[in-house]
Amino acid sequence: MFGETFIRIGWINRPRGKLHLNTKYIIATIIIIVLIASAAFVYTYYQGQIPDEGIQALQTLVDDHDYSTSLTAYPERIVSLAPSATEILYAVGAGDKVVGVTDYCDYPYNFTAWIEADNMTSVGGFKDTNVEVIASLNPDLILATGGVQQETVASLRDLGYKVLVLDPANIDGVLRDIELVGNATGKRAQATAVVNDITSRIDAVVNKVAGVASKPKVYYEVWFSTQSIWSVGAEGFETELIAKAGGVNIFENDSLEHFQTDSEVIISKNPDIILLPVGMETVGSELPFWESFDAVKARPAWDSISAVQNDKLYQIDGNVIERAGPRIADMIETLAEIFHPELF
Amino acid sequence: MSKNEVESTYSKRASRWKLIIFLLIIALIITVIVSLNVGYYGISFEDILKILGKQIPFLNSFVDYTPKLPGDPNVLLLVRLPRIIAGVLVGAALAASGVLFQGIFRNPMADPFVIGVSSGASVGAALATLFAAGFVFFGIGAVQIAAFVSALITIFFVYNISRVGSRVPVMTLLLSGLAVTFFSSAIVTLLQFISGKELFSIVAWLAGGFSNITWLAIWAITPFILIGIIAAYFYARDLNLLALGEDTAQNLGVDIERVKKILLFLGSMVTAAAVSVSGLIGFVGLIIPHMTRLVIGPDHRILLPTSTIIGAIFLVVCDDVARLMTGSIMGALQLPVGVITAISGAPFFVYLLRRKKTSYAL
Repeated sequence: MFGETFIRIGWINRPRGKLHLNTKYIIATIIIIVLIASAAFVYTYYQGQIPDEGIQALQTLVDDHDYSTSLTAYPERIVSLAPSATEILYAVGAGDKVVGVTDYCDYPYNFTAWIEADNMTSVGGFKDTNVEVIASLNPDLILATGGVQQETVASLRDLGYKVLVLDPANIDGVLRDIELVGNATGKRAQATAVVNDITSRIDAVVNKVAGVASKPKVYYEVWFSTQSIWSVGAEGFETELIAKAGGVNIFENDSLEHFQTDSEVIISKNPDIILLPVGMETVGSELPFWESFDAVKARPAWDSISAVQNDKLYQIDGNVIERAGPRIADMIETLAEIFHPELF
Repeated sequence: MSKNEVESTYSKRASRWKLIIFLLIIALIITVIVSLNVGYYGISFEDILKILGKQIPFLNSFVDYTPKLPGDPNVLLLVRLPRIIAGVLVGAALAASGVLFQGIFRNPMADPFVIGVSSGASVGAALATLFAAGFVFFGIGAVQIAAFVSALITIFFVYNISRVGSRVPVMTLLLSGLAVTFFSSAIVTLLQFISGKELFSIVAWLAGGFSNITWLAIWAITPFILIGIIAAYFYARDLNLLALGEDTAQNLGVDIERVKKILLFLGSMVTAAAVSVSGLIGFVGLIIPHMTRLVIGPDHRILLPTSTIIGAIFLVVCDDVARLMTGSIMGALQLPVGVITAISGAPFFVYLLRRKKTSYAL
């Protein structure tokens, strides 16, 4: 019966009594179905994007990726997908609302111990955050960061979760993020206090080092392995912190963030100070990737670098200098004391 | 052809081969000397020659040299020269084992990494990066040792998986190599996933390069590579017969199972030693043997030594390009040499393939 209908509308030809599908018609039909389906999908998708007029939004927040999120109430269950976000949450006084953190979150509390004691839930690592675990926590606000987390952020938003992306490019961006988190959690006064404290401390350092005769050339080592040596350029956060503290990153003219360079380049740039991060290893060895000051000094031909000759190698907390959180003022003070000990 | 004619053809060919190898060695030496001039740190060519002259016993008293900057000799002798020598050794090793593997498998897609040496080495390197970084044995880093050892263990596995009685069919070898490669790649991906900042090390390893090579690391791999390549040369005749097919080679008196076993071991050892310091530098082992075959011909007695030298030249030049781009168009950024081998090698290979016009067989 259906066969007859198909023959009549031209889907099936029956020349010389043989069943024969008319490819042209079938392809045309498939294309039309696909077009209708995708139009319907796009329509429903955008319907979902339009804020529901029925519920009065408490506030609308615009995050670092210019995505608007409307909150109908202050969040009670917050999940943080980045160590910097966790630090900001606790700094503005919204720490008691945090229900989930990553395995990398280590400040202001020892979250690993909390997780082991079942007082906190781990949502995974940094690249491998687990959406199902996040969903099981039923959060009403999620703080994420840029880069590798974009896919996770997109899928969380598709599931209907409110996600704010904190992805600051510089110190001003961090201060804006602290205000943003303060607004989101209803802790505006405390956020403003934190921002004012950071700003005044940074200004104090900047004023102190403003009159120095010379600024030291600084090399910050991001990573070192047998195949590669990585540092930070103008786009990196570390460069701005070094500049505020009265130093000059030797790579400040390279518009890059973290990048692979060459031993010869560092020897040529002849830094006065070498900064080596600690606490960057996730697993395994007790030693930092640069092993020891002696190992750094013993690198081939590094004995001609001014910093090595004058023994100006310093270890700093890598998790503070590379983290866009509220401890940037601490780091700038530490760096300024290293660069200009005579002023402190 | 009379006996005399055969002998004269043979001696003509032998002298032509000697000339080719002689010229290539000259080319390699020139490449190394020119490469010494390439780098971010500025040293004049005159000073470079003087610094080198100072190193030669007896001659050094005639060289009058005072460094412009105190660091000059060290940068040349401890940073740049080891890098170039590493390029020579790794390029030679990869090209030579490429010839061996293509000969054994009689397959143009074969390269030093085909039976899992590289992926095996990567697992070792990634594990050492995550769990044993900083451990040093006699000055050699854990990553290098772990890469070398795990590459050899992987080959041992692949060989034994493929063994059917006393025979090792090449097809089974290829397929089990493929299976082991997939398995080890999955482990490396997993390790990348759970790693934090160690990811930098793993990424750099997978892209290949010898930025921070030391003389000690070079001394550690040199015997494996030299002995491996020289030993393999004595099987060049057997590889020629193997090209006629395994059965024919067997009938012509080649103990093919023994030859295959020895050459697989030599090729893997040479590759493992190279990869342990350089990470994965792709493409050299695949295209250099092909390029050389297109120009020189398929006879392994000449193909193996010429590929070895051309591989060395090619990798040194690619590393020169990496260093040349740093400081000119790239600023302080340095590209991994593995990227440059592939980008520059592939189009040149296509050009050679098209120029040859006639169909191409191993």
